[in-house]
Amino acid sequence: MIAAQPFQGYDDNPCRPRHFKPPPCAPVVPEGPARKALEACRARLFFTGILFACVFGIVALRVVEVVLLEGGTAQSHMPRFRIPSPPAPARADIVDRNGRLLATTLDSPSVYANPKQILDPVDATRKLVKAFPNLKSLEVYAKLTSGKSFVYLKRHLTPHEQYEVNQLGIPGVQFQHEERRIYPDGTLTAHVVGYTGIDNAGFAGIERGLDDTLKDRREPLQLSLDLRLQYILREELQRVIDDFTAKGAAGLIMDVNTGEILSMVSLPDFDPNHPGAADPDHPDLSIADRMFNRNTLGVYELGSIFKIFTVAMALDAGTSTLASTYDASHDIHIGRFTIGDYHGKHRVLNVPEILMYSSNIGAAKMAMAAGGQRQREFLSRIGLLRAPKIEVSEVAAPHFPAKWREVNVMTIAFGHGISVTPLSFASAAAALVNGGVLRQATLVKQSPDDAPQGQHVISPKTSEQMRKLMRLVVEHGTGTQAAAPGYVVGGKTGTAEKISGRHYAEKKLLSSFVGVFPISDPKYLILTVVDEPHPDKQSHGYATAGWTVAPATSRIVQRIAPLLGVQPVDESSPEVQRTLMVDTLQGKRIEAY
Amino acid sequence: MIRLGTLFWLVLVSATGFAMFGVKYQVQALEDELARTNRATAAEEHELRVLDAEWAYLTRPATLEAMNRQFLSLGPIATKQLHATAADIPLRPPPPPAEPPPTEPPAVVAAPEPAPATGTSPGVPEGVPVRAPERETPQTAPAEPPETQSALRVMPALLEKQAAAPQLAKAVPVKAVAKASPPRRAKSLDDLIAQIMTSR
Repeated sequence: MIAAQPFQGYDDNPCRPRHFKPPPCAPVVPEGPARKALEACRARLFFTGILFACVFGIVALRVVEVVLLEGGTAQSHMPRFRIPSPPAPARADIVDRNGRLLATTLDSPSVYANPKQILDPVDATRKLVKAFPNLKSLEVYAKLTSGKSFVYLKRHLTPHEQYEVNQLGIPGVQFQHEERRIYPDGTLTAHVVGYTGIDNAGFAGIERGLDDTLKDRREPLQLSLDLRLQYILREELQRVIDDFTAKGAAGLIMDVNTGEILSMVSLPDFDPNHPGAADPDHPDLSIADRMFNRNTLGVYELGSIFKIFTVAMALDAGTSTLASTYDASHDIHIGRFTIGDYHGKHRVLNVPEILMYSSNIGAAKMAMAAGGQRQREFLSRIGLLRAPKIEVSEVAAPHFPAKWREVNVMTIAFGHGISVTPLSFASAAAALVNGGVLRQATLVKQSPDDAPQGQHVISPKTSEQMRKLMRLVVEHGTGTQAAAPGYVVGGKTGTAEKISGRHYAEKKLLSSFVGVFPISDPKYLILTVVDEPHPDKQSHGYATAGWTVAPATSRIVQRIAPLLGVQPVDESSPEVQRTLMVDTLQGKRIEAY
Repeated sequence: MIRLGTLFWLVLVSATGFAMFGVKYQVQALEDELARTNRATAAEEHELRVLDAEWAYLTRPATLEAMNRQFLSLGPIATKQLHATAADIPLRPPPPPAEPPPTEPPAVVAAPEPAPATGTSPGVPEGVPVRAPERETPQTAPAEPPETQSALRVMPALLEKQAAAPQLAKAVPVKAVAKASPPRRAKSLDDLIAQIMTSR
């Protein structure tokens, strides 16, 4: 035991090396300079001690200040947890042409629990069930006592629900960041905007067609749609469906000079917020039927409204003039088909009359005079023989005969034997009236300076003639009910029989109307198609276009024209009359024919 | 000397040490504030998005229409309400041409009275003869600014009738305006529109 050995003086230690000198601080007090050094050493120790005491005193004072004086309000300077701010939404908003929100992404956190951290499952269950009445307390209790470390309690909370859960303040209950696409207008823009599925991937409409764009950009995507027009169009189409107990309807409003689609409605429709849910009003309608966009995905034999293309083709090619006459007094028999007139006049008709009275015989003869080759080339030129190009991905290719026989030439002349989408039809019809320029239809707002360059498909002169003829249809022909005083509507009615099996079904109609206003200076085109309308009391047993969609077009024009800033004109004023006068009539009134 | 140097360095070291810690805490505090502000901004942005969506939801056309039906009963604009644009509304017509001669004498009689008050010609009774030649041209220029002003000051009733009219009519040749029908107060908007239509 070394420690137990008694102290021995240095010199007593026999093992001490010779060169060893005792340290200056040794308890032995030496004399002379060594003593001086020892004192300096002590003084240094003393001052160091004071310094440390001061520092510790400051720390102690600070502790007292923080804990007692500031009452816990002192801010910690410790490196803290960085609370992550919610990341910016991963998908751009969609707005209409006036900046009105159509689709947005909102945080929609899910609430989950870590049962291992739940202190009182009974109390937590009681609180949670009180906050979410549709949760079952047994299930919640089972989840909270499951011993797992992660159980979802409820997915996709609303901001209000999130607030409530925060107020409950149950330890172990937390939120998981999730996003959800919201469509404030619900069904109104369902087919155009589309919807997204889980993980916010676009499943339909613009959401699917421009999925990559929406994922990449930050600023909202501005569509060409106008929500106000969309509402009006949908309301009027719904009214037609209700009045005539129709199966469905489609409609679109297009700016004829830019190709922008201001409104596109397909009925029946669905709620993109709950794409799979059944319609509470019509539970019998299938989801597929409601999600079907009749404007872009439906191909229809549109019937007589196709005659505008026949007339435009014949006029543009020069095979007919406005004064040409065709004998429509007898039906045409070709093969097993008989072509007759619905509004038969049984006499020789000139070109304006063929369009006015919608003569199938006359149109067939006009097409025959022009020839099948020319007809096919013309339809191809105005884009009716290819699938329409537009931002939504649901587009259908037209159906038309592979071999263009004589009977096809005749039936296609009045819109049978060829099925096209209403969208393709609208683009082509816009080209007929806007001076002859075919522009691709678009759902994205175009800036006014770079209007899309179209291709010239007919001459401006033919276009002018078509405007006059379409005005004539509304003034004196089958479309008189489409007239909207002051807005100079021009158009064409079409009533087609739907194919049922291998035959045309007389009772199953597809009524359509293409209207342009003001036809003296075309700005907007309205195409309405109603599927299987049935006559009602007011329509005197008719379910044809002139009684169903033509009056609807009149109402639509009168409602949307003030919104679009179209100034009404006096239709009987000489200027308007002069621009729309048909030369062949040589000033005679139509009734004289 | 060495001790003094040591002391100097000691002070310097502790001073820089304290300063460094001070700056460090300041930076930390600023960083915290930045993070807080960023979080608050993000939260506000999120709030804005929610409110935007809510606004869009609350102003759906269907909702607006229902509210309109309940509270306002506004209808679509009818064609007859759009017969004229703002550009079609003429400037206010001048006073009827028959009026100036009878109103002229009182205006001229009244004119000398305020003249002293303005101090331009104090105590000069020749104000009447000076203005006399002007009286011969009322048809071409019925509203000479000084004359109207002086008349206006005396007769506030006249001001209400004519004040705006001469100023507006200044640019318009008198003879052209004289053809306009005498203004008649329209009873209703339709009446006013009809008036405008007939006058054109």
